[in-house]
Amino acid sequence: MPESLDPVIHTVARLRIMTTLTALAEGDRLTFPKLQSLLDASAGNLSTHLRRLEDAGYVRVVKGHQGRVPSTQVEVTRAGRRAFEDYLAQLRALLTPPAEVAAAEPAAATAEPAEPAAATAEPADADTTEENR
Amino acid sequence: MSDDTALDPAASVALIAEQRAKVQAATDVDGRLLFGVWGVAWLIGFWLQWAAWGDDPLIHLSYGAALAVFGMLLITAMVVTTVHIARRSAGIRGTTSTQGAMYGWAWFFAFAGIGVLGHALDSAGASAEVVSTAMTASSTLFVGVLYMAGGALWRVRIQFVLGAWICLVTIVATLVGAPNMLLVMALGGGGGMLMVGVIEAVRRGRRLGR
Repeated sequence: MPESLDPVIHTVARLRIMTTLTALAEGDRLTFPKLQSLLDASAGNLSTHLRRLEDAGYVRVVKGHQGRVPSTQVEVTRAGRRAFEDYLAQLRALLTPPAEVAAAEPAAATAEPAEPAAATAEPADADTTEENR
Repeated sequence: MSDDTALDPAASVALIAEQRAKVQAATDVDGRLLFGVWGVAWLIGFWLQWAAWGDDPLIHLSYGAALAVFGMLLITAMVVTTVHIARRSAGIRGTTSTQGAMYGWAWFFAFAGIGVLGHALDSAGASAEVVSTAMTASSTLFVGVLYMAGGALWRVRIQFVLGAWICLVTIVATLVGAPNMLLVMALGGGGGMLMVGVIEAVRRGRRLGR
């Protein structure tokens, strides 16, 4: 069942990036060096993982200037926030003992708790392509 | 930051909690510190002015010296606030920082205006009593109003309540008039801020205890 967790998020490095970015208020971005310091990551390593998250449509990397100094800023997209929430819901389902799940929703019983979450992940992907356009 | 090592769900949950705590610690504005420095500045500053007032003052300190100490306490509190907020918001851009900057400008213009008012009253030949009443009432009322606005903006109830309380204390103090309004502001205003600082500390303790 663990393989049903979103593979884009489910790694130490990218889970920490997504946790950091989703901890900010909506509409807030982090500068690349700030994100780096919050993660204790090397610039190269962070760039690699950010590219993967960007390809999935979960984060947006904005390269701009603060005066004359180039400044890279990173923010989570709406699709990224939704994917992270789905990921959290899946984790919760995986960590809930089956007996409790059965008691909570007798109809669904022990049927894959991951399935509804996977279904909601699809519209998120649709959003992603929309945002990329 | 390590790489794509396998994670089990429990490890993921632990990692999320740890990283959230780290972000919180790095970006959180500490109410204990801010209400603490401002509370102390008001409590001591207003009390000194009250105690140094008149021909037979409670303490052997000229009123001018009391005012100077109050000014220094306010500058200290302002520096502490600015540095603390700048540190905690460093590297964050976007909505929150725009809101914060706009809110900061509101404070700047409010107090620039009050400073000019004091100067104008002085040049117009107003007595120390008039200047003190006008400066105390206008500045504390602005603090109260801006706290209320900030509380509404960020939906921080305790900040809103403190703002309303400071407005009420200011109204009472203004009715009392100089010089005892200074004592009312010291105890009600400074005391109120320190009380909120203590409430913040208790809340934080509880959050950590969980």
